[in-house]
Amino acid sequence: MIKVKNLHKYFKDLHVLKGIDLEVKSNEVVVMIGASGSGKSTLLRCLNFLEMKDKGEIWFEDKEIDPDKVKLNKVREDIGMVFQHFNLFPHKTVIENIIEAPTIVRKIPKEEATAKGMELLEKVGLADKAQVYPEKLSGGQKQRVAIARALAMNPRVMLFDEPTSALDPELVGEVLQVMKQLAEDGMTMVVVTHEMGFAREVADRVVFLESGVIAEENTPEEFFTNPQNEKAKQFLRNVL
Amino acid sequence: MSQFMDSLLSTVSGFSQAALVTLQLTIVSLIIASFIGLIVALMKLSNTKPLNWIANIYIGIIRGTPLIVQIMWLYFGITQIVVLSAFWAGSIALAIHSGAYIAEIFRGAIQSIDKGQMEAAESLGMTKRQAMFRIIFPQAFKRSIPPLGNQFIIGLKDSSLVAFIGITEIFNLSMSQAAATFRQLEFYTIAGVYYLILVVIFTIIVNKIEKRLDTGRA
Repeated sequence: MIKVKNLHKYFKDLHVLKGIDLEVKSNEVVVMIGASGSGKSTLLRCLNFLEMKDKGEIWFEDKEIDPDKVKLNKVREDIGMVFQHFNLFPHKTVIENIIEAPTIVRKIPKEEATAKGMELLEKVGLADKAQVYPEKLSGGQKQRVAIARALAMNPRVMLFDEPTSALDPELVGEVLQVMKQLAEDGMTMVVVTHEMGFAREVADRVVFLESGVIAEENTPEEFFTNPQNEKAKQFLRNVL
Repeated sequence: MSQFMDSLLSTVSGFSQAALVTLQLTIVSLIIASFIGLIVALMKLSNTKPLNWIANIYIGIIRGTPLIVQIMWLYFGITQIVVLSAFWAGSIALAIHSGAYIAEIFRGAIQSIDKGQMEAAESLGMTKRQAMFRIIFPQAFKRSIPPLGNQFIIGLKDSSLVAFIGITEIFNLSMSQAAATFRQLEFYTIAGVYYLILVVIFTIIVNKIEKRLDTGRA
């Protein structure tokens, strides 16, 4: 589904990603973990070109994506993204947030998009909030709406950028529950998170980043019980 | 005091006419100024360097010179090239002046929108243009209403300066009345009263708009 080859990214003089090779297969859940500044969020944002790579290749469904040759908005239609700070549109109601892209980008009729949107709201348990503005929602509810909004475009893959890091601890569970359900439904997912429990339970593969390189790539079982990399061992000692 | 009231009442028809001219000048110039402001704000935010330069030079010159100089310069400049009534020359001069300040208001409002909004819109497959028009502008416009209202009130009062190119608006009329009667204090006070009334009306309208746009939305 997604292939990354020798990816490099600089912020001015700072070399953030130093040659990343990564493959994500269909229906796979890949969880990326690492200390802050390790480059995991940057890597995720490179996948849908919110950050532009400086070197290397990014392949999506057996086609290399060259930002100079293809329309990036077309590529992004099939790649859903969920942000740490939700980024819901505050001037639109919950249902308007959800049908915005389907109606404007995919040109789906409003009634059809609304029906689909209500289904998705049902799925994340927020059908009763359809007509509410985002400011009236809790953080956990906002993030569930943001997930529904991304799903409304029928993406082939979903990217999650620390989706629970901005939430109060008691609201983390409801968001992880929705993500777990999504994984069980077979969605291809790339997740940057600090939720080790989620990584262990839901991930098919764990990718550990350290200083801009993939220091270890392993099954969750192996990674959490018997990490190979010295930095990974240290990281796990600190967070577990 | 009673003499002042007499003067105030006896000149109502003349000053009402003049107030109407002030209002027309203000509204026409601010509508044009808002268009100028929007275009210049977009030029300033554009990634094309020459557009940035043009916008910066325009704003620099307008902010760096007095309005009265701009009015005189444009009036005597424009009317040498095209035939233009004093009203339109004055309106255009006021519009070009306010446009620079309105551009900065729009630019600030657009830049104040969290960049996560653009990222979210783009991540959903929207083009930059779609994201701008549907996500960024509506939020930015709302945020620009309070400073815009303030700028409109400044524009209303600044319109008094076109008195010097011979448009019979409030200030021009009070100058000629003062000169004719030698009752300067009286007629400049009357001018102040009319401006105050207009500003109060403007303020009420701006507050109403602000309130209406605020219902339940961040």
